[in-house]
Amino acid sequence: MVKISSRNSLNRFYSWLPIALLIVSVLNEFDFNYLKLDYFSFNFPFILIFFFTLKDFKHFDYLIVFLAGLINDTVVGLPLGISSLSYILICIATSYFRNITIRPNQIKDWFYFLFIISLINSINYTILTLFFSYTLVLMDYLVNTFFTFLFYIIFVSIFKFYLKGVND
Amino acid sequence: MASSRDDFIIAIRSAFLKKSTQQKFSLLTLVFVSIFIILLSSLDFKVIRYLKIGINEIVYRSSFVVSIPENFIKNTFIEITDYSTFFNDYKKNKRELSQLKSSNISSEIIEFENKELKELINNYISSSDKILAKIIVDHDSPFLKSIIINKGSKDNVKIGTNVYDQSYLVGRVIEVNYKTSRVLLLSDLNSNIPVSIVPQNIQAIVTGTGDNYGEIKYIKDISSVKFEDESIVYTSGTGAIFKSGKPIGKIKNIEDQSDNKFLVEFFSDFSQLKYVFAEVTINTEIENKIEIDQDNNQNNIPITPMSSKIKILEDELKIIEDINLKFKGENDYLKMKVNDLNNQISNFKNEISSQNEKIAQFDLDKKETEFLKMNLYYGHKCRRSFFNTKGFTVGSDEYRNCVLNKGRKN
Repeated sequence: MVKISSRNSLNRFYSWLPIALLIVSVLNEFDFNYLKLDYFSFNFPFILIFFFTLKDFKHFDYLIVFLAGLINDTVVGLPLGISSLSYILICIATSYFRNITIRPNQIKDWFYFLFIISLINSINYTILTLFFSYTLVLMDYLVNTFFTFLFYIIFVSIFKFYLKGVND
Repeated sequence: MASSRDDFIIAIRSAFLKKSTQQKFSLLTLVFVSIFIILLSSLDFKVIRYLKIGINEIVYRSSFVVSIPENFIKNTFIEITDYSTFFNDYKKNKRELSQLKSSNISSEIIEFENKELKELINNYISSSDKILAKIIVDHDSPFLKSIIINKGSKDNVKIGTNVYDQSYLVGRVIEVNYKTSRVLLLSDLNSNIPVSIVPQNIQAIVTGTGDNYGEIKYIKDISSVKFEDESIVYTSGTGAIFKSGKPIGKIKNIEDQSDNKFLVEFFSDFSQLKYVFAEVTINTEIENKIEIDQDNNQNNIPITPMSSKIKILEDELKIIEDINLKFKGENDYLKMKVNDLNNQISNFKNEISSQNEKIAQFDLDKKETEFLKMNLYYGHKCRRSFFNTKGFTVGSDEYRNCVLNKGRKN
């Protein structure tokens, strides 16, 4: 009986893992910036949110994604609500893409991801520079978008293993 | 055509409004809430400010806890890199320490003079306290360069409080919560610091670049300016945002600056900060406000402008006395050294004279040995005897000369 209950709690934790990973990543800014690689940076929450909302993962609650955005803004020091808006826009984009897609294709998803993150980073950049008078380097945003795009395919293969494990 | 447009509208509407079984809010609601929060955060309402402070407190603490494993890996990585340059750093530090020690006394005097002059200008006493603060969140974001420290309004930290790594300026506080604050680093793109550059004595503004160096901007006629390599850059205090005379960095590699772009290498490495000092300044007006000093509490002596100046002069006097004591100590030490050296010289002199005596004795012995040796050969030629009536008495000077001359010379 004890064995069954511990297995259940393990399963529950396993099914909530993407949300836990999202919260940890926004709190921790999990980005390897301390390696001091010139220009290297990527946005892990974008990949995570895009993939799991595209797959309509049952525990990936939009409200938690929204709250994760607020946490990210607080940690990074951006005006409150910017990251929430970005994350929710990703959710809208994936929801639309899911609705119009009949046969899912990984390469199509990948390039759609590039389009979406470019659009969202542009919106971010525009809001921050126009409305909040932040000085930002556009090149940093471009490089961040590029590496996030590259890393997407790597993380997707890991997440697929995870989904397979959950379904089994 | 119309059908595809309908499909698009249906898909969009579904994306915005449709809630899945698990979702509690539609995405459209959340978009509106996000925009509402952005608008609110741009307005400075008291309620929002307190709400933000509350969120910041919780999130910063949580971020600190969550970052522990990554920080451990990061610190291990940094420590390993440090070990490779440890010895060179040690040698450099030792050299710098000896230089700093020698200049410490003069800077103390200058500091007091500076304090006194400032007081005369501003007519208030500015007492500052540097409080040690731990960095609890240091996410090296590629876009914004800031850190979170564990001191806030509870510890008198205010917006604009200067933050130092040892004596080097690293930034200023831009957001204050009850027990935490956010510090904007000098390397941030939004950071602008009025500076003076010595020895050229040029006033300029240093702007952050997002890396561990800044860029010199807003110099009148930059093309005519000639910087020396390693010129020191320190805060000028213009605008009263930063305190004056705080070192920031030095001019970097002027050989490469063909396009009139001058870079400042910061003294402090912002990526390796663990603890910083926040300078909490308390300004006390001395014209209107008469306070009882803690030291003078027992005697009930009120603080007046005159008494505060006297206190500064007393402090100055104390420093001069300290210096005198130090010089006196050095003088005594040197005297002792001179005495030791004199003793050593007299010892050496004694030793030399005894050595000379020994050498003279040795020469004498050598001559005697020579005489005895020659005596064996030529003694019979010089000795007076029955057969040699022209010889000399043994032991006389003539006999000795005769032997040394290898017999009598006619």
